[in-house]
Amino acid sequence: MEQFLEIINPHFLLRNAFYAGLIVGFVCPQVGIFFVLRRMILLGIALPQVSNAGITFAFLLCTVGWHFFPHIESEKAMALTGSVVFTLIAIFALAILERKRKGFTENRIGFTYALAGAASILFVSWNPYGQTEVLSLLRGEIVSIPDIYLWSMLAIYGTIFICLVGFHRNFVLVSYDTDMAITLGKRVNLWDILLYLIIGIVISFGVMTVGPLVIFGFLLIPAITARMITRGILPFCIVSSVIGTAASFIGFYISYRFDLPTGPTDIAILCIILALLYIGKILVRLKR
Amino acid sequence: MNTDNCITLENVAIGYSGKVLVKDINFSLKAGEFVVLFGPNGSGKTTLFKTILRIIPPIQGSIRYGDGHPTRFGYVPQRQFLDEIYPFTVEEVVLMGTFGQAKPFCPTPKTNRVWIEQCLKDVGMLDLRKKLFSELSGGQKQRILIARALATRPNVLLLDEPITGIDIIAQKKIIELITELHKKRRLTIMMVTHEVHHIPSWVNKIIHIHHYKVVLGSLEEIISLSRIDEIPTEG
Repeated sequence: MEQFLEIINPHFLLRNAFYAGLIVGFVCPQVGIFFVLRRMILLGIALPQVSNAGITFAFLLCTVGWHFFPHIESEKAMALTGSVVFTLIAIFALAILERKRKGFTENRIGFTYALAGAASILFVSWNPYGQTEVLSLLRGEIVSIPDIYLWSMLAIYGTIFICLVGFHRNFVLVSYDTDMAITLGKRVNLWDILLYLIIGIVISFGVMTVGPLVIFGFLLIPAITARMITRGILPFCIVSSVIGTAASFIGFYISYRFDLPTGPTDIAILCIILALLYIGKILVRLKR
Repeated sequence: MNTDNCITLENVAIGYSGKVLVKDINFSLKAGEFVVLFGPNGSGKTTLFKTILRIIPPIQGSIRYGDGHPTRFGYVPQRQFLDEIYPFTVEEVVLMGTFGQAKPFCPTPKTNRVWIEQCLKDVGMLDLRKKLFSELSGGQKQRILIARALATRPNVLLLDEPITGIDIIAQKKIIELITELHKKRRLTIMMVTHEVHHIPSWVNKIIHIHHYKVVLGSLEEIISLSRIDEIPTEG
C-alpha cells in the first residue's frame, strides 16, 4: 500500500515514466484495434523493429559526428527523426506494395522484420557509445523520461487520440468495406494515408520512449483481448484502452515493488489479463 | 413508371489496369426499373457493377448519371467479402449507411438512429439489432446489408449476388423483400447473378454478359442463349 501511495504521489521521482506508461497504455490500443481488424498483426511486430533500426542508425550517425540538428546537444531529437523517417518509409512502401499486389504480404513483412532486426544490431555493434541507451530501449526499461519528452508525448498522443475518435467512423468504414466507402463519396486513399501516418507516428514516438517490445505489446494484446470479450465496435475500443491503461498501472506497481524492468512486466500483465479472460470466457460458455 | 434515364453507358469498356475485359457496352437504366445483370463466373459482371458504382473507372467511354437528378447508390456487396473479425452489432452495420453525411467529431444524431430502426423494420430484422453481425445466418446477413443500403436513402439499389450461397427458403424471402422494396419505395434496382433460376420472371431488363459482349434481352432469350452454350461443339 505504501508503494502504491508513493506511485500516485505527484512528487514521485519516477512519475514521468509512470505517466508515459499510462499514456502508451491508453492510446496504443486505439491504434492497435486497426492492426487487429485489418489483420496486420505481423506489421505490428515489424514496424517497431524498423523504428528501432531508425533510432540505432541515428545514434550511429551521431557517433561519427554527423548531426541533423547541430545546435541541439542531445541526440534524442535525431534519434526520434530517425525513428519517424524509417517507420514512415517502411509503412508507406509496404502499403504501396500491398495495393499493387506484388508477392505475398507475409513475405514482405517477414523480410522487413529480419532486415530491420539485423540492421539494428549492426548499427549498435558499430556504435559502442549508443549501445547502453539502445539496449535499455530494447529491454523496455522505462525509467528516466525528461519533462519535455513527457509533455511532447502527451501532445502528440493526445492529438492522435482526438483524431482517432473524431474520424473513427471514416477509419472504420474504409477498413471494413472500401467499396461502400467509395460509393458514399469517401476518399479512401486519403483516410488510409492518414491512418498509416498515425500508426507511423505512434510507433516511432512510442519506441523512442518505451522500446519496441512494449509498443508491440500495447498495440496488439489489449485489442486482441477486448475483441474476445466485447460485442460492438464501441465497447471494443473502450475496453481495449481500459485494459491497456490497467495493465500499465498494475505493471508499473509490480515492477516498482519487486524491482523488475517495467516494459516486460507490463507485457506479462497484459498476457495474464488475456489468459484469465480467455479462461473466464470458456467457463461462461461451459456453464451455458 | 418514371421513364427518365437514371444511368446511361455509352461505348464503355471495362477492365482492370488498362486490360479490357468487356467493351462496347451501351445501355441505360430508367428510373424505377428492375434490371438483372447476368453472366457466368469470371465474365466481368462484378467489374461492370463496380464501374457503374464508380469504384473502378471505365477504360473507355462515358457513364452519365441521373440526367440532372442526383443519383444516390445503395450498395449491397457479396457478404462473404466482409471480414467477420469486426465485432459489429447489426445496428452498427446498418448505421454505416448514414456515414456519408456524418460529420467528424459529432456523435450520431438521434434522427439517424430512428432512421436505421426504420430500415431494420423494413427488412424485418429490428429484433436482431443488438446481435453480432457475424453470428447471423447467410439470409439474415443479406437482409442486414440491404437495410444498410437503404440507410443511405438511395434511389438506385445495386445488389451483388444477393442470393448466392443461402438456402432456398431464404433465397425466396430475399427476392420477395427486394420486390417489395422495388414496388413500395419505387427504387431502381440492379441485381447481379450468375444463375438463371435466380432471375425473377417479371424483371424489366436483363443485361447478359455473353462471351465478353453485353447482350440485352428477355428472360426467354437469355435462357436460350445459355442453352446454346451448353450444346457441345465438335473438335
